[in-house]
Amino acid sequence: MNFIFTEEQIQFKDAIKSFLAEECAPASIRDGWQKNQSFNLERWKNLIELGVLSSNLPEEKGGLGMEQVTLALMVEEMGYAGLPEPVAEQTFLVNDVIPFLPQNITEAVESNYNDAAQYIALAHPLAPNPLFLNNAAGLILLDNSECKFIAKDDMDFEIISSNDPSRELFKVSSMKNAICASENFDELNSAVSARGTLMTAALLIGLAQKMIDLSSVYVLDRTQFGKPIGSFQAVKHMLADVAVKIEFAKPAVYRAAYSLSENNPKSALHCAHAKLMCAQAAELACKNSIQAHGAMGYTWEMDLHIYMRKAWSMMACWGNEDKQQEIIFKTLSSTSEELGVLYTF
Amino acid sequence: MKINFTNEQNIFRDEVRTWLESNVPKTPLLSLDTKEGFEQHREWERTLNEGNWSMVTWPKDYGGRGLDLIQWLIFEEEYYRAEAPTRVNQNGVFLLGPTLMEFGTHEQKSKFLNAMATGDHIWAQGWSEPGAGSDMAAIRTTAVLEGDYYKINGQKTWSSRAAYADWTFGLFRTDLDSERHRGLSFILVPLDLPGITVRPIPQLDGEPGFAEIYFDDVKVPLENLLGGDGEGWKIAMATAGFERGLMLRSPARFQQTASKLLELYLANQDDCSPMIQAKVVEAWAQSESYALSIYHTASKMLAGGSIGSESSLGKIFWSELDHMMHQTALKILGASAELSQESKNDAAKWIKGFMFSYAGPIYAGTNEIQKNIIAERLLGLPR
Repeated sequence: MNFIFTEEQIQFKDAIKSFLAEECAPASIRDGWQKNQSFNLERWKNLIELGVLSSNLPEEKGGLGMEQVTLALMVEEMGYAGLPEPVAEQTFLVNDVIPFLPQNITEAVESNYNDAAQYIALAHPLAPNPLFLNNAAGLILLDNSECKFIAKDDMDFEIISSNDPSRELFKVSSMKNAICASENFDELNSAVSARGTLMTAALLIGLAQKMIDLSSVYVLDRTQFGKPIGSFQAVKHMLADVAVKIEFAKPAVYRAAYSLSENNPKSALHCAHAKLMCAQAAELACKNSIQAHGAMGYTWEMDLHIYMRKAWSMMACWGNEDKQQEIIFKTLSSTSEELGVLYTF
Repeated sequence: MKINFTNEQNIFRDEVRTWLESNVPKTPLLSLDTKEGFEQHREWERTLNEGNWSMVTWPKDYGGRGLDLIQWLIFEEEYYRAEAPTRVNQNGVFLLGPTLMEFGTHEQKSKFLNAMATGDHIWAQGWSEPGAGSDMAAIRTTAVLEGDYYKINGQKTWSSRAAYADWTFGLFRTDLDSERHRGLSFILVPLDLPGITVRPIPQLDGEPGFAEIYFDDVKVPLENLLGGDGEGWKIAMATAGFERGLMLRSPARFQQTASKLLELYLANQDDCSPMIQAKVVEAWAQSESYALSIYHTASKMLAGGSIGSESSLGKIFWSELDHMMHQTALKILGASAELSQESKNDAAKWIKGFMFSYAGPIYAGTNEIQKNIIAERLLGLPR
């Protein structure tokens, strides 16, 4: 039992953190909004060059074979920076589930995906609107009964707007030449759901941390009654409540990541747990951060909403809080003898 | 990162389990807040000590097993699973014990730790005073050094276990000209000294879990000073850290309550509103998170880290969780949630726990004080 990160894991986290601090500042995100092009090709190219996008591909496919815990630590930073490119919940997800895909789909993906330079989108009932299709080489469509791959040129699609302008969502209006597989997708589906759940959980915890950091700075700066508003207990307590939520959500993310990398049979439960805790932390972070910012928090000008909007989307996608509660309850009520005080690990 | 138990840890778990299975009293002890129950619990402390289980993390020289924090957490998991009696000496073994280990002289350690382990000294806390609650630096009880003893005058209150305990530890003002947290000293006081009057205070459940202690020219030998004269505040903060954090509030207690709550819900599901289900899930999810967080912290400490203001985060989390779980249990119990005698579903036990869960957000520093600490020390907000 050694529940701490290795130096290497911390290095990966720090490296992506400083990269994003440089390359993904609020101004650059807003620039994407203005140009209706939130997928920043320059940044994407740099992420490829750094090897980030192929982190979790096996070494024989040019990746680092990175396990889930390091991945989650990096994704947390992507949340913190509000990274618009869908690295976590699309690229990392797709990389990770390639081994679970039917053979013909894998082949199709890989032929469109050489050297990880291309972006493949994925749609699933838990996140049905594919992201950035105009930047994608193709789309994996997955539900309970089928799995398809459609190359970009074989489909027509239209953009649908998201409440988070950093997320360009699409709807496929027609397709042809789809490569189809229809067999039993239970295993694939659970692999995809668990990873989507974990990735959004890790993003959310980063987003929550960002919001509370922004708020802490703001309440130090803003004065009323002759003092920084952060000296008032009502304000302190709001932010402290968020800090508590974040503190107890984080280890759930790391445990869920660890479970996935160890193929723990309870990993679906652990991912649901992580998402539940992170969604709650992020929800309170949104509410109390906007409140701490006062009317400024309700403006377009303040950067807070860049992260708040992403958090709202991440809460909704890949199973919201209620969905996770349902998953947890189903597990608890069917196998109660293996849960509780002795079965955390 | 490797978050599985090792073989050695599993073997240790089995050893704890086997011992507890044959030693935990078959019928529950009386409440430790009654005279008779207190002595039963003292007896249990003796039994634990005979098995060498008083405090597994203490060095062997002081009656412990020299084990690490992970093994401590495993011990606690088994302890709660076995529904073993509440530790009547928790003020001693979980709070004063680690404090002595850090600040005590060799003589103090051998005298007090051993007597603590054997159950001969059951400890009470002596922090609060009528004018010093959340504002603990407002302490006014004085201890004036006269030759080789301190003469203590004043009053302590909300002193947990003091109704029947043998000793108390607390903060006293040794520098009469000092203010606030300066000039305080950490002194260990036997409660049977002349000049001491203990007045038990019945708690919400009707039993005297805490007491007032009056000091009238009480003479305490100088050797009972822990750390240096005037260093009391620093030492008390370390003790408070143990109280808020992982020693006293190990996760097993809350996980055990969450499991019981799930059991209670599953047995009564048909009579419950569907809204309850989400609370039951919350109970599991939060107690699980608390456990993960504590193992994370314990691992950090084993790697040489230390725990500071972070313990305030945990204190808020477990105390709110404990209350939420008991509140949920009472909702499941429906109309029987007012029965204080033995009945179906252990209603009386839940009600007792429910009332006690109101104490959590108050003791060990109110949650409001903890939030100030978090805001000021972790988020960098101004005082």
